[in-house]
Amino acid sequence: MITVEALTKRYGRFTALRGISFQAESGEILGFLGPNGAGKTTTMRILTGYMPPSSGRAAVAGYDVFTDSLEVRKRVGYLPETVPLYPDMTVHGYVKYVAELRGVRNAASRADDVLRIVGMHTRRESLIRSISKGMRQRVGLAQALVHDPPVLILDEPTIGLDPRQTLEVRDLVRSLGKTHTIMFSTHILSEAEQVCDRVVIIHRGEIVAMDKPEALRDQLQQGAQLLVRLGKAESADVVRKALQNVVGVASVNALNDGFSVQARRGVDVRARIANAVAAAGWELLELRPLAMSLEDIFLELTVQQGAEANERL
Amino acid sequence: MRHIAIIFRRELGQYFNSPIAYFVAFAVLLLTGFTFNDDLAMRNGRAAVDPALPLIYLAQFSVFFVPLLTMRLLAEENREGTLELLMTLPLQDYQIVIGKFLGAWAYYTILISLTIVHQALLLWLNPADLGVAFAAYIGLWLFGGASIAVGMFFSALNENQIVAAFLGMAALLILWQADLVGNVISNRALAEFVRSLSFQSNYSYSFAIGIVRLDHTVFFLGVTGVLLLATAQIVQSRRWR
Repeated sequence: MITVEALTKRYGRFTALRGISFQAESGEILGFLGPNGAGKTTTMRILTGYMPPSSGRAAVAGYDVFTDSLEVRKRVGYLPETVPLYPDMTVHGYVKYVAELRGVRNAASRADDVLRIVGMHTRRESLIRSISKGMRQRVGLAQALVHDPPVLILDEPTIGLDPRQTLEVRDLVRSLGKTHTIMFSTHILSEAEQVCDRVVIIHRGEIVAMDKPEALRDQLQQGAQLLVRLGKAESADVVRKALQNVVGVASVNALNDGFSVQARRGVDVRARIANAVAAAGWELLELRPLAMSLEDIFLELTVQQGAEANERL
Repeated sequence: MRHIAIIFRRELGQYFNSPIAYFVAFAVLLLTGFTFNDDLAMRNGRAAVDPALPLIYLAQFSVFFVPLLTMRLLAEENREGTLELLMTLPLQDYQIVIGKFLGAWAYYTILISLTIVHQALLLWLNPADLGVAFAAYIGLWLFGGASIAVGMFFSALNENQIVAAFLGMAALLILWQADLVGNVISNRALAEFVRSLSFQSNYSYSFAIGIVRLDHTVFFLGVTGVLLLATAQIVQSRRWR
């Protein structure tokens, strides 16, 4: 549904995107993850036909964003980061206006329909200047949905919302994901983990990782950390030395209630740790991987990148 | 065409949704009312009153109030981020510009047509020359279109409405007085050219005395066209930044 190939965007001497490529299948919720200034908004603006790329190509629903810009725009619903609202219009008047410009039949009743979907129907006559931030976000979403586009591009739709509103918007996006292809940018990692089928992590204009959230975790988890808890209170030093001697263990740290064991990459040390503990006559209460959150993965990836960049300098 | 009509409708409606349009209309009518009354009192029966007179004043006031009507048009969209929405809808950039221009021009048309009150009074006092009044209105209408195009151009240039309004006023004042500006230029060809841009001479020496001249009509339409084109270019250039 969305195809991006070697996309590059330069603003003067600043390069915002350095040849990124990715795809989103029909009916997929693609999370677009990165720190501020990574190039998320730039990518979305190119995909919505707002600005052309410097090089590379991007296509939505088979239409090139540059040569068939109008066809692309017909098929995309876009919620920019700053929700584009007219404060002097009513909620319904605004959505109807966008519907008319998009050539939707029965614009007024269609506007009512989408306001019902986003739960803003009861406020249809309110002036936009008088509604809360969360409501504005939902009105913005209604605007993006009004022509029932196959592709939705949402730029940080949960930014600045309170926790309850954030949950509401996430639920809404998830339910829309059943019938739409959604590209969803965020810098909140747990959000991408909860909402998206697949995650693209972008940093300084380059894609640093791209996979399902669970797969991303697995990928980096190999040789990751294990938590080991023992029953009898042995002296921490003795245990640490014993675990250190297990083949494949890189390092051991004593924690409050156990030990964290860092395994070497690609080595499964669980069985050997269990054996070593049993051989020493200690009781093994717990042995489990310390799950890495997307947060850790993200930090790891971006820090690695930063270090490499510094070396190059 | 459909897109232009939709944008036009919203823009025109927007004037009546916001207080500024009513304030501007109130102030303009008050001013023209004063000058009209003053003129009536001065001539008091001794000479026929010139029906174009309130309109010449109105043209002069346009220099100051038209930028207040146009400052919003693109600067606000730019700042609120709604231009990004419009530019990702399936419509052409020029349609946005033309729709907005027509909305502002329609409001201006309503505003100047309110002065028909004065014409009715004149008709009642002593039968005036309706032809002169008619020509003066056509001229004022074209004059307004060109002024709106100037104001809108500056609204597209920057996000700040106050700056847009001020630059618009400065530009219109210079254009209004362009014959005086031409007088201080020593290069003769350039001076002639600058003088020919004068909004005042293109209005006061033809339309306002009851003559609809083709060259002056083309002048105002030309200024409007060139500035709308330039405005559309500025809007489009956002895509390349």
